[in-house]
Amino acid sequence: MIMAEKIIHEANDRAARFFSRRHFLQDCVTGLGGTALASMLGGCNLFSGSSSAPTQSLNPLEPRAPHFPARAKSVIYLHMAGAPSQLEMFDYKPELEKLHNQLCPQSILEGKKFAFIRGVPRMLGPQAVFKQHGESRAWVSDFMPHLAERVDDMSFLKAVQTDQFNHGPAQLFMHTGSARLGRPSTGAWVTWGLGSENSNLPGFVVLTSGGKTPDAGKSVWGSGFLPSVYQGVQCRSKGEPVLYLSDPEGINRDLRYQGIQAINEVNRLEYETFQDPEILSRISQYELAYKMQISVPGVMDINSEPAYIHELYGTEPGKESFANNCLLARKLVEKGVRFVQLFDWGWDAHGTDESTAVNFGMRNKCREIDKPISALLLDLKQRGLLDETLVVWGGEFGRTPMQENREGKEMPYMGRDHHVEAFTMWMAGAGIKRGGSWGETDEIGFSAVKGQVSVHDIHATILQQLGFDHEKMTYQFQGRPFRLTDVFGNPINEILG
Amino acid sequence: MTIFLQAGWGLFIGRFHPLLVHLPIGILIVAFLLEWLSRFRQLAVLGAAVLPTMVFGAISAVAACVAGYLLSLSGGYDEAALNLHMWMGIAVAVISILLCVFRKYNLFRKSWLPVSAAMIVALSVAGHYGGNLTHGEDYLTAAWPFGGKKAPTAAAFKNIDDAKVYEQLVQPILETKCYSCHNEQKLKGGLRLDGMANIRKGGENGPVLKDSIPEMSELYKRLVLPESDDHRMPPKGKPQLTPQDLEILYWWILQGAPDSITVKELHKTPRIQLVFEGMKPSGDGLHPYMPLTQTGKPGEQAVQALVQTGLKVMPVAADNGYVMVTAINAEKFGNADAKLLEPIGKQLVWLNLGGTATGDSALQIIAGLPVLTRLQLENTGVTDQGLQYLATAKQLKYLNLNNTKVTDKGLEFLQKQANLRELFLFGTGVSAAGIEKLRKALPDLDVDTGGYRMPVLATDTTIWRKNPA
Repeated sequence: MIMAEKIIHEANDRAARFFSRRHFLQDCVTGLGGTALASMLGGCNLFSGSSSAPTQSLNPLEPRAPHFPARAKSVIYLHMAGAPSQLEMFDYKPELEKLHNQLCPQSILEGKKFAFIRGVPRMLGPQAVFKQHGESRAWVSDFMPHLAERVDDMSFLKAVQTDQFNHGPAQLFMHTGSARLGRPSTGAWVTWGLGSENSNLPGFVVLTSGGKTPDAGKSVWGSGFLPSVYQGVQCRSKGEPVLYLSDPEGINRDLRYQGIQAINEVNRLEYETFQDPEILSRISQYELAYKMQISVPGVMDINSEPAYIHELYGTEPGKESFANNCLLARKLVEKGVRFVQLFDWGWDAHGTDESTAVNFGMRNKCREIDKPISALLLDLKQRGLLDETLVVWGGEFGRTPMQENREGKEMPYMGRDHHVEAFTMWMAGAGIKRGGSWGETDEIGFSAVKGQVSVHDIHATILQQLGFDHEKMTYQFQGRPFRLTDVFGNPINEILG
Repeated sequence: MTIFLQAGWGLFIGRFHPLLVHLPIGILIVAFLLEWLSRFRQLAVLGAAVLPTMVFGAISAVAACVAGYLLSLSGGYDEAALNLHMWMGIAVAVISILLCVFRKYNLFRKSWLPVSAAMIVALSVAGHYGGNLTHGEDYLTAAWPFGGKKAPTAAAFKNIDDAKVYEQLVQPILETKCYSCHNEQKLKGGLRLDGMANIRKGGENGPVLKDSIPEMSELYKRLVLPESDDHRMPPKGKPQLTPQDLEILYWWILQGAPDSITVKELHKTPRIQLVFEGMKPSGDGLHPYMPLTQTGKPGEQAVQALVQTGLKVMPVAADNGYVMVTAINAEKFGNADAKLLEPIGKQLVWLNLGGTATGDSALQIIAGLPVLTRLQLENTGVTDQGLQYLATAKQLKYLNLNNTKVTDKGLEFLQKQANLRELFLFGTGVSAAGIEKLRKALPDLDVDTGGYRMPVLATDTTIWRKNPA
């Protein structure tokens, strides 16, 4: 009797939930979202309307077509968190060398704001030796001797500009197109647009190294207002690749499968009632997690790679390192992962101590990435993957041609402050011109004088190489269409091959 | 007044003219409407509102005239158009004052409506010429939807080499970014930039071109001044030139600012080369692995049959029917399944069978796929025999044979593949001599045998410290 009462009570409670104000409002919102999602899936799915595949259209990671044939199938984005100094790596300024240790002219400082510099700082000449390399005669410093040999595969952007001089907002801007929280990251947009080629792996994977995650937090690979299934999946190169993925003790794989099937069945019914796309996210995440139990340990295990590959990248299995992440990036792209985002922390070379001195700590950082990135480019090339994989390298901003004088006091080591007006990024592969360069800074590397590109231009270029017109790739949210590039951005056609 | 002018207030007040003119336009139109509507019996009460409205209109018209006169003293306008505009404006002010007087003292009742109407005509003419002075003569007419619209000049050339430098590259920049202040009617700084003759004539400070030296030509120099500089062009807040625009103007002046000459007749600097490459249209058509023709979508049943084997069949783009197929989740895909690809042969452009059980006999079928340009066979059981079958697939552009058992003998079958651009042979049994032979037969082919190594450098292991241990 009591049992029956309980059931009736629960049934009433459930019925009431259908008519609660919250659910009414939620229906209004998610109903729209569901319609948007359905139209998006319908619009993009070549075989929509096919009666034999009703369950497929429920999968938000189903592969979809871009606007026009793409040059890039995948993106590997190498972000040096903390912002590397372009003046010690790629932007050679002999004039700055001559001005070394002189007081910075007032005319340069007028009306400018810096993160830390106060008063009149001294100029800081390049702390590296530069040489021209390759057929393209590109300037690269001796901090990157191996990458210097790869310049003919890359295109430099020497005059990138941002408008944020603090790490968090600048990283958010660089990855979501907005310095404020709430927008989807580039990887999320791409995965939303293209789905995942491999049904056993996530479409968007994040790998971090350098001991810390980016200052902006996990929002830099978040899904913002897109369904959460499109957010980046953070994998670890040390220990279990994905946390909480393995079966708990005493549960075997069969039992796990049946459990997930039952949960998904309930969720499917729930979706039919509420049409909330987040339920679809949940269903596909359960399914994906189950498949990933097998596929992820395989693809994330670099032990099975031959010694030749380890030697090339300089990998050390079992450690968390940038080299390991580069190798993993190649393995993931090979398996059809759309967007692999690497963050390497520790580039904030202010000169407060030895580890942040441009000539010590930063040089060590350069050494840590030099071989792995060169190996990544070579490895992609020999596997026939470079022509369909877009490799992007950069930080969130650049660094000043002046020695940092924090609050007017000189630093104990040679360091540079944050700089937004001009810094270097590069791209390679997937239709990017080999040995190209676009943009130029003034003779001390302070201002961009020619070929300025914005963060939005970078995004527009990435989307274009993936087959998207960045102006047409929109998602309806809060009553208006949103774009990764907001209302800005032009693809940088000058670096296309 | 003269004190104001001497103190430099004249121009400041003058610049309020564009703001002030809108007051008489709005108010006097309302006054006219009230005058007209009050003729209707039901709306006769509105007649009481005409006088106060007209008074405000007259005051604002006088203010606009004064400001306008002060602005005109700064110069840079076409004399004829300016005169017409000025006298029409004054006419409006005078008529509105007259109407105030008539109304106040109840004179010439019958003339109120016709005179008001005449005032509106004068107002329209003054407003139109004012607009022409600010925005250029054809600002309005250019947007006329029924006239012969000017075709966008950028599209007029198919190949950048055939583009006329001044007419098709330089002039469109000047037209969109400079003409609005340097035209026939609004000659800021006495300079007109519409037409080569006007450009050569220069402005009140002399010529703006010093041929072949952009850095000494005002036409370029002012464009690269800091935005805060008073001489910067276009001034702060106006649409600015893009870096590409600047490069084009720089290059054009460097070449002596010629007209009626095409790009290919001039020397191209590496920088202008970059700009021109950026002007190439993007998207479709240019893709190296896409056929130029369109096709319909593949049959649903054929696609479903492939999906059953675990293959992914994906449209290459939303706007055409071509598909790519990948076996990334179909390791068991083998020779027996290959015939399933035939029904989508017209659409299948990119095929990835890497890591599957595909062997030589599957290539007999794959070789017959008519539009296949990109074929990945790495880590499969394909041998030289398979390449013999593949010899008929002449349209292939990309072929990946990494980690297969192919040898020099197999490469010989590829010698007639004139379209092949990329061939990957990492981890195969081919020899340097075999590749050399193929390269001779196909000079445009990129062969990648992989196995890259990097030199071992002392600095690879150096830890950089202030006090080395």
